[in-house]
Amino acid sequence: MPRLEDLTEIARQGHLNFPAFEHDDAPFVALTKPLSEARLALVTTAGLHLRGDEPFVNNDQSFRVIPSDTPARDILQSHTSIGFDRTAFMRDVNISFPVDRLNELVEQGAIGSLSTNYYSFMGALRNPKQVEEETGPEVARLLIADGVDAVLLTPT
Amino acid sequence: MLARAIEETGLPTAGIVLIKEHAERVKPARALWVPFPFGFALGNPDDPPFQHEVLAAALDLFKATSAPVLAEFLEDGEAPVRLLQATAARAESTSDVDADAADELTAMRGYYERWVDNHDGRTLVGLTGVPQRRWRGLIKYLQSYAAGDAPTYEEIPADMAEPRFIRLAADDLKAFYMEARMCQRPDQRNNDVQQWFWTETAAGTLLAQIAERLNVAGDDALTRAAFGIAR
Repeated sequence: MPRLEDLTEIARQGHLNFPAFEHDDAPFVALTKPLSEARLALVTTAGLHLRGDEPFVNNDQSFRVIPSDTPARDILQSHTSIGFDRTAFMRDVNISFPVDRLNELVEQGAIGSLSTNYYSFMGALRNPKQVEEETGPEVARLLIADGVDAVLLTPT
Repeated sequence: MLARAIEETGLPTAGIVLIKEHAERVKPARALWVPFPFGFALGNPDDPPFQHEVLAAALDLFKATSAPVLAEFLEDGEAPVRLLQATAARAESTSDVDADAADELTAMRGYYERWVDNHDGRTLVGLTGVPQRRWRGLIKYLQSYAAGDAPTYEEIPADMAEPRFIRLAADDLKAFYMEARMCQRPDQRNNDVQQWFWTETAAGTLLAQIAERLNVAGDDALTRAAFGIAR
């Protein structure tokens, strides 16, 4: 987001008062191999899903599976808001979900390989308790079972 | 929060974040703050070199040997910081929209179809599942709703509340119009497209009227639906 001081007062206060969970420290797992040998997964909170999937609703803490070879034309976004401009995502799926860029990095040898599936959650969750305790760990376990070494997260 | 949950389950994560103040509180293991507006997480659409710069900075965080790491990407993108809202656009507008939204939609269809062709079949239209050949009926229903009537509409799924359906229909209409406009006027970007939609189209006027109707009801669910349609 732009620096909060550049926003309108109502937008700035909205972000400052958003109930982000507060922690004193961070979990840490080291990546034990170079990225050029690692299997990378993409997980987004842009509210994306396959055309025909159930759209997300507000505060929806479930996730959707997006196979990593899905053509961009089959991906929809049901995280919408008057708070952000969707014309960027209309023009280019990579603005929130950089599938083409990751494929290019694999071709260049900068990344070893990509996961079989990518995953998508809804954004702007005000109380992501279920993501924290259930659906987030569930996605992590699915990725581990797919041999994934590292996860890149992108927002809307 | 999601990053923490994945890391705690055993996988290293790196995330792009848009609000530094939230990342400072939540403390994911590795985060790259970017100075772009919501909707522009990788900076600029249709700009692979710039997107690669952002990605490289995010992926570089996997070299970290402890957490939390909160790095900053300091190069600005092209998008304006403040998104133009319907009320602000309409308050300053002298446009007098006289068209019928259903006719207008037909007139925009050629641009929309060309946009889709030019984007390998890609479009963000499709949330309601109502086929576009039946959108005249959808418009008629929305016009009736905006006028304060209580129309019935057979395309609303039995298990879906009406405000929810209206919200999805509004998102589909916006996507149709904005994609069509970016084909019609490739020089227009971001707030230009918002300005045009809210002040020069019958569909924008219709959605603003629907938001007004939802808001005056004083019902929480309706107000939430209105909030997502126009403010």
